[in-house]
Amino acid sequence: MAAIEWIRFLIGALLLLSGLAIFAIEMVGVFRFKYVLNRMHAAAMGDTLGIGFSLVGLIVMNGLNFTSLKLFFVIVFLWFSSPTSSHLIARLEVTTDEEPKKHYRRMTIDEVEKEMAARNENETEEMGEE
Amino acid sequence: MGNGIPGLGQAYHVLFVAALIFLAAMVVLCLIRAIIGPRIADRIVAVNMMGTMVMVIIAILALMLQEGYLADVCLIYAMISFLAVIVLTKVYMGVYLEKKEKEEKAHGSN
Repeated sequence: MAAIEWIRFLIGALLLLSGLAIFAIEMVGVFRFKYVLNRMHAAAMGDTLGIGFSLVGLIVMNGLNFTSLKLFFVIVFLWFSSPTSSHLIARLEVTTDEEPKKHYRRMTIDEVEKEMAARNENETEEMGEE
Repeated sequence: MGNGIPGLGQAYHVLFVAALIFLAAMVVLCLIRAIIGPRIADRIVAVNMMGTMVMVIIAILALMLQEGYLADVCLIYAMISFLAVIVLTKVYMGVYLEKKEKEEKAHGSN
């Protein structure tokens, strides 16, 4: 019985610590990226993966009861709310940016495809030269 | 947590306290990001991140203190921080568009 409890503690601790590690990676990303629309990727990672790992770890430690159900609902709610809030923040940034040319550029799908094709061609040429 | 098994209760306590200290440090870093963030969106992202970390802190406290109702607080906190992001973005966008419209009108009359 005690061994099972210890194994449960270890699994829960591992999940909780991976969640905290994800939070640490999130902070590194948020401080190292240079622009909001880049930083948002790092921030959204913590919203879903970080809190997901942490709360699943806590659920494993707690066992199945009402508290665990509530914690599960928190994870499900964040799965829905995090993309929505990211979308809103991105739209705010794109609307209020006074000098967008400095930060990003708008492309249509055709332009992206053309650029990718050009890049691939260059890469194959370089490979051939080597 | 870990009733009746020698050492397990203490292990849980150490783990929870370490996690709480780590998360507190992360929240302080988020606050720094919110202060230095050059744009409004930076600050809103930082506040959102802070909300997520506070949610984990509340969930850990719910288990550590064995108070189930703190999980309800966690759920409500998630909803309120989502609402805060929506309201802040909408308000800032509305203010910005209004200002821009006013500027355009002033240019038109000149």
